[in-house]
Amino acid sequence: MDLQAFLTALDELTKQASGDFAAAGDSEALEAARVQYLGARSGRLKDVQKQMGALPKEAKREGGMSFNACKTKVQAALEEATERLGSGGATVSDSAIDPTLPGTKLHIGRTHPITQTIEHLKDIMGRLGFSVVEGPEVEDTWHNFIALNIPEDHPARDPLDNFYLTVAGKAVVDASASEARLLRSQTSTVQIRVMENTPPPVRIISLGRVYRPDPPDATHFPMFHQMEGLWIDTSVNMAQLKSVLRLFATSYLGSDVSIRFRPSFFPFTEPSVEADFYWNGSWVEFGGAGMVDPNVLKAVGYDPEEVTGFAFGLGVERLCMGRHNVTDIRDLYRNDLRFLHQF
Amino acid sequence: MLVCWEWLNEYVEITETPDDMALKFAMSGLNHEETTQVGSDTVIDLEVTSNRGDCLGHIGVAREASVLLRQPLKLPAPSPAESASAASASIEVDNQFTEGCPEYTARIIRGVKIGPSPDWLVRRLKSVGIEPVSNVVDITNYVLMECGQPMHAFDLSQIRGNKIIVRAAEDKEQFEAIDHKTYELDSQMVVIADAERAVALGGVMGGVDSEISETTTDLLIEAARFTPLAVRRAARKLKLHSPSSYRFERTPDPAGLDWASRRCCQLILELCGGELEQGVVSDGAKAQTPEEITFRLNQVERVLGIEIPMADNKRILADLGCAVSDAGEGVLSVSPPSWRTDLTRECDLLEEVARMYGYEEIPENVAVPIGVAAPRPKDVTMRRARLSLSAFGVDEAMTPSVVKDGQEKLGSLWSTGEPLSVDTPLLKGAKSLRRSVFPSLMDARYFNQTQAIRNAELFEVATIYMPGQDGELPSEKSTLGIVTAGDLQRIKGVVESILQEVGAIVCTWEGFEHDLLEAGTGQKLSVDGKTLGYLGLVSKSAQNHFSLDAAVAAAELDVMLLTELLEPVRRANQVSTFPAMERDLNFVVDESVRWASLEELCLQHGGESLETVNYRETYRDTKKDGKGKKRLLLTLVFRSLERTLTGEEVDKSVQDIVNVASSSLEAKLLA
Repeated sequence: MDLQAFLTALDELTKQASGDFAAAGDSEALEAARVQYLGARSGRLKDVQKQMGALPKEAKREGGMSFNACKTKVQAALEEATERLGSGGATVSDSAIDPTLPGTKLHIGRTHPITQTIEHLKDIMGRLGFSVVEGPEVEDTWHNFIALNIPEDHPARDPLDNFYLTVAGKAVVDASASEARLLRSQTSTVQIRVMENTPPPVRIISLGRVYRPDPPDATHFPMFHQMEGLWIDTSVNMAQLKSVLRLFATSYLGSDVSIRFRPSFFPFTEPSVEADFYWNGSWVEFGGAGMVDPNVLKAVGYDPEEVTGFAFGLGVERLCMGRHNVTDIRDLYRNDLRFLHQF
Repeated sequence: MLVCWEWLNEYVEITETPDDMALKFAMSGLNHEETTQVGSDTVIDLEVTSNRGDCLGHIGVAREASVLLRQPLKLPAPSPAESASAASASIEVDNQFTEGCPEYTARIIRGVKIGPSPDWLVRRLKSVGIEPVSNVVDITNYVLMECGQPMHAFDLSQIRGNKIIVRAAEDKEQFEAIDHKTYELDSQMVVIADAERAVALGGVMGGVDSEISETTTDLLIEAARFTPLAVRRAARKLKLHSPSSYRFERTPDPAGLDWASRRCCQLILELCGGELEQGVVSDGAKAQTPEEITFRLNQVERVLGIEIPMADNKRILADLGCAVSDAGEGVLSVSPPSWRTDLTRECDLLEEVARMYGYEEIPENVAVPIGVAAPRPKDVTMRRARLSLSAFGVDEAMTPSVVKDGQEKLGSLWSTGEPLSVDTPLLKGAKSLRRSVFPSLMDARYFNQTQAIRNAELFEVATIYMPGQDGELPSEKSTLGIVTAGDLQRIKGVVESILQEVGAIVCTWEGFEHDLLEAGTGQKLSVDGKTLGYLGLVSKSAQNHFSLDAAVAAAELDVMLLTELLEPVRRANQVSTFPAMERDLNFVVDESVRWASLEELCLQHGGESLETVNYRETYRDTKKDGKGKKRLLLTLVFRSLERTLTGEEVDKSVQDIVNVASSSLEAKLLA
């Protein structure tokens, strides 16, 4: 092969490749053209390069330079075409992309609003130094009543106000029997279990499901969640109780709030109070609280002359509903995805 | 407790408006429910806690007001005139059941004229929601609302044998009450009987035979004490709640019988005429004097966190009716009044001074000692699990702890024991405690199906309940249940990802057959012989039971075991900067060969530089490989932390694997 024929072939190739690249209407066509001309194994440029070996020795240098120039041109044409089809495509038809079209929706699962509330409560109380404890949901009468200073003649022990377990398929006749079992009606049971097994000081919250036979309506459900706090030490008093509740409420609500106590009655605390917090111009019920009754301290083997303590309890559902504008407690347990996906 | 404002002012001058007073009551223990107008009367509704039976009458409420306002309490001093004839000649009282009725008293009035009550009396009763009946009955109700002691008037002519017998009811004894209904009694109930039959159910309701009628002229006025438990049992069992039973359940003033009886008789004489016979006929013990309580001033600050001057403590306790005397430096001896049966200990007195001194005096900004609390491993574990599940698009549900009747028959993955159940259904038609979480999630999935929400993928962290050892509490287990679309590889991927998130948990997988799971799809995962959980496709029969119209996959994991396997703090491994070399292998093996054994073999014999063994696919070609054979395709990734590997050393490692696979698994490598 002589040099002239080789140069002609290079010119031809450059022209054809540039034309084909420019004519490619989409990236597939361009890729096909790229393989045709620049393919690593059998592209036409490769073919021409092989022919270079047949050139006379004195023509090799010029042939090589011309080949390189051709290759550069072909690659430049490819780059130009690539740019035209890629980002340059937009300039061709700006209106092809509708910026108001939605993106691809990704489904993300949600944690239950009650879980979110519980995590929030644990978080705040953790910062106040209260550790989380748990206990069984099925309890005996000692932990649910007796140790909590609820005597046998107390109405709270009535079978109609509790979910007693059946024994061998039969209803429990004597609800005061020590072997009677029931779904716990309060999470204070866990506090008893902790105090029985731990010397003071104790600074805990117990969280979990509790059960009371209220027929379901917008504000009642026979199963709900409670958080109870307990702090026992050598000098715990009611001013500290009020202060801890204020710190809690301030953190929960996100701004400074005030706490007030109204006298109340619970068998396991003395004095007993209802605590309210002042929020958005009115007093809102917080929950029950009080100083742990000396009988409870004695029941777990503590000496009421040595230690004092406070306890408080609140309903998780009520907090959750108030915070998230849920108006029917039953919605929390229906598990309608349309409902759950709002939180 | 409905309190008539005008009536209340009879006993204490209320210097506040009804609204201000209601707030004062609320802040001192009588929670204010609402204020209403009944005719021209203002009526405030106060919630009385179960320990404050003394406030279930206007006088009790007036006493609180008198302490709060420091106004004197003005009480009537009834001293009805008595005739010469002795009441004891008219009636005999025999109390045979002092456990249920510690004290029974009777007075006799003869010659009354039954008729309507005067307007002032009718108005007061109506203001507190009591309909007038006749003058005598209205007076008993008036005294009840005045001092909280229930009273009962019998028509003396209907009391046979001139005898009142207080006794336990006989089992299945029939009794017709004033409401004209017949009740069946039991031996724990107190009956007031005459010589022949029951005339009243003690503390609960009078009998129809002896009620006051238009023709009644002679009366027996009963004032008695009944034990709270006996009255509560009777009222509950018979569903017969009355203002009387309500008060007896909360202990009216045990020493107030005589005052109430005299007050009642005096009003009857004034408004109905007649003559009161001399004396009171009674049987039973007088109420015991409350025991003295030692009150230490230093306990005020210890418990309440504030100092209250000794003088204030003394004044408050004395105003509340306690007898207070000094008993040394900073110590008082306190005898509570008879009506405050709730005051038995020092802490009870601390509450009294606190509520009367004012809880607003307790500061809300004292220093609180700091403490530390670290999240529990379970919290960390579940946070990671929830985060993973959220990312996979699975939503958290919360379902009741019981399953619908019938569902308990589906069995449990965890236990073959009988389900536990509660004696009253927790929810309508649901009284068995669940032994597995995912059936509840199937229900929730079905609920969404009815709302035209397809493929609700849900999880829940909850407790399941199994019978315990004899005498022990039931065995409870916290589990994580998951339901997803009926795709076995997806649910397994979800579970494996959770395990990876919690702590790179390596577990053993084996087949698991259960009625709840489609045959051949059930899998059990365990770690060190302990069952970590189960997964599989839900069986057609279970799917049908829940009326689900599409296939479901389910998994359930043991949360406590998962927590034990938590890697609380993740540690970094060095990441290689050298390139990896990959080799694809295609083995023909017997159907019985498990992937896990091939994987383990590779890891054992692939040398130090074998980084991962990636499963690609299983392929069957019976024409080429013969029956009972399958092809397992995998990719080995080799990489060194120190250098670029050579093709020769990687090929040698691969050859080692191929050799061992051939000899121990009879695996044939396809080129």
